[in-house]
Amino acid sequence: MEVHTIRLLEYESKEIFNEFDIPLADRLVITKGEDIKEKINQFTFPAIVKSQIAVGSRKKRGLIKIAQTKDEAFSMCEDFFTRKLGEYGVEAILIEGLADIKHEYYCSIALDSSGRRFVLIASAEGGIDIEEVAATRPDAIIKENISISEGLSKEAAKGVAEKLGFTGTFLDSATDLFLKLWQITIEREAQLVEINPLVLTPSGLIAVDGKMTLDDNAAFRQELIVELRKHKLSDLEKTAQRVGFSFVELDGEIGILANGAGLTMALLDVLAQHGLKGMNFLDVGGGASKERVYEALKLIYTMNPKAVLINIYGGITRCDVVAEAILQTMKEFPDAPPMVIRLTGTREAEGVSILKDAGIDAYQDMMDAVGKLKEVMM
Amino acid sequence: MYISENSKVVVQGITGNQGKFHTQLMLEYGTNVVAGVTPKKGGQEVLGVPVYNTVQEAVDEKGVDTSIIFVPARFTYGAVMESLDAGVNMTCIITEGVPVFDMVRLVETAKAKGLNLIGPNTPGMLIPDKIKLGIMPGDMAHFGDVAVIAKSGTLSYEITKALGNADVGVSAYIGIGGDPVRGKTLTEAFECYVKDSGTNVIVLIGEIGGDDEEKVAQYIKDQNVNKPVVAYIAGKSAPEGKRMGHAGAIISGNVGTAQGKIDALEAVGAKVTETPWDIPEAVKTYL
Repeated sequence: MEVHTIRLLEYESKEIFNEFDIPLADRLVITKGEDIKEKINQFTFPAIVKSQIAVGSRKKRGLIKIAQTKDEAFSMCEDFFTRKLGEYGVEAILIEGLADIKHEYYCSIALDSSGRRFVLIASAEGGIDIEEVAATRPDAIIKENISISEGLSKEAAKGVAEKLGFTGTFLDSATDLFLKLWQITIEREAQLVEINPLVLTPSGLIAVDGKMTLDDNAAFRQELIVELRKHKLSDLEKTAQRVGFSFVELDGEIGILANGAGLTMALLDVLAQHGLKGMNFLDVGGGASKERVYEALKLIYTMNPKAVLINIYGGITRCDVVAEAILQTMKEFPDAPPMVIRLTGTREAEGVSILKDAGIDAYQDMMDAVGKLKEVMM
Repeated sequence: MYISENSKVVVQGITGNQGKFHTQLMLEYGTNVVAGVTPKKGGQEVLGVPVYNTVQEAVDEKGVDTSIIFVPARFTYGAVMESLDAGVNMTCIITEGVPVFDMVRLVETAKAKGLNLIGPNTPGMLIPDKIKLGIMPGDMAHFGDVAVIAKSGTLSYEITKALGNADVGVSAYIGIGGDPVRGKTLTEAFECYVKDSGTNVIVLIGEIGGDDEEKVAQYIKDQNVNKPVVAYIAGKSAPEGKRMGHAGAIISGNVGTAQGKIDALEAVGAKVTETPWDIPEAVKTYL
């Protein structure tokens, strides 16, 4: 649940592809609020109209359609901008010229976490069923490990293109395209650069769909990530990120403040076993400052929970700091919902006595805290 | 394994708040912290520990073989590279938020040099009553023969403390860290304690996402491991994550759910418990 990646939408990925001269179909981007008619008048139809939304299977969900005329495209756009799937809305629409498809390929450069290296992955059987191909016919998937110090060599890229069956000028352009994927990976610190399908047309190769994920931890040296953050996160999530904790909204009624992703998840699991549901996942993070704990509690209060469960096992986080933050919020929010507190670990004695002096009990054992919470919720 | 009570430790970033605070706790625990490093602050002393400008000086002057990193994320690459260049055997990266590219480069370099990295974003390692190399509470459990290997920090404190409360001794506690690219994978850490003659039971603490637990299950099967394994997997009630792209599934297959991990581990004979607090009882059946 620790999220350190930023996922780009198709049109955002393609803007980067374009910067690196990866061949694309003619395209037009309409972002929410722009004059749809005026934009559409600049384009030639028939064309494909694609909602830009952070969900998969857009075609199956009717979020990608072919428009024969400008009028048809206009009503599609109007409809798409009203669509919502869960927390996601359509942020933009990408309109592209139709490709004359002779063959569909798959290619990507991805981080192999357990191998701790990047891998060039390609298949001559691209398209929507690529995972099925990987599961049933692994031989149809070509993988080329990349050494980060040596990079992807031209020979290695060409070898993969040859295995895909490319010859002549197409062999050169596929080789070139793989090298560009690596260039994007390195320069943008991407964890995934994926083209599926990569389409062969009579005039050459075209990236028909594109996906990228970037490393949020590299934001200090990648300006693009800072830009993208601005419109990728909900307001609550932005607050969380600014102050430095991870936060996910859930559908229960108990506000949760805990430290460590694993412990927070285990806590939610145990609550679920007792018929209690968390309203959020909030990992206040390692070495939490007083301000961070205070902001986290304030954020939880804004969600109107029935009760709040605080579970801190201090390692780099100090129980005395957490206790002081709890006191501060209690002073400012006298009408706050009932709170059950469990504190243990680094500076436990100091933390517990700070709370005790203010007349607040803190449990040392998590199951005792869960039992108390059950009582409170009855 | 990786470290011992004889390890000679340098703290990189010893003059910072976290570095200093945890140096004190490590010293109180009895860890042999013999040097600190902060560029341009050489010549000072922090808590009686001499500070050097470079890791190489600390190696030359104090025979350092182990490093612990408390420098900010953007300087971590340089700090770890310095430790690797100085030939330090084990570098433990506590820092959170290290870019993935930096870690891929560092892991490739460490492998080429035959040196060890652990972390980033890890609580570190602990051999109870002998050495604490990290930020975990030192008083969780006493020394014994059960190794605890974990992906996440606080959850593993919880479980290690539960072992201690149940009077189960711990041979080593090792956190591999929660980031996508790590110095030691769960399987590498697991292998280390399969081979450790002082460890009779291994406790594995996993969570949803990635394929680390499935890889350990595969290792148990391939190597015919017969040391008892007790595991807990967090995230059973977590909503299914949104995936992006197909590369993850192509690299690792369709893995990553709590149930998938539990099934994989149970299939190779590991005992997977319902809650973190059931671990001590499960471990005791093997002692």
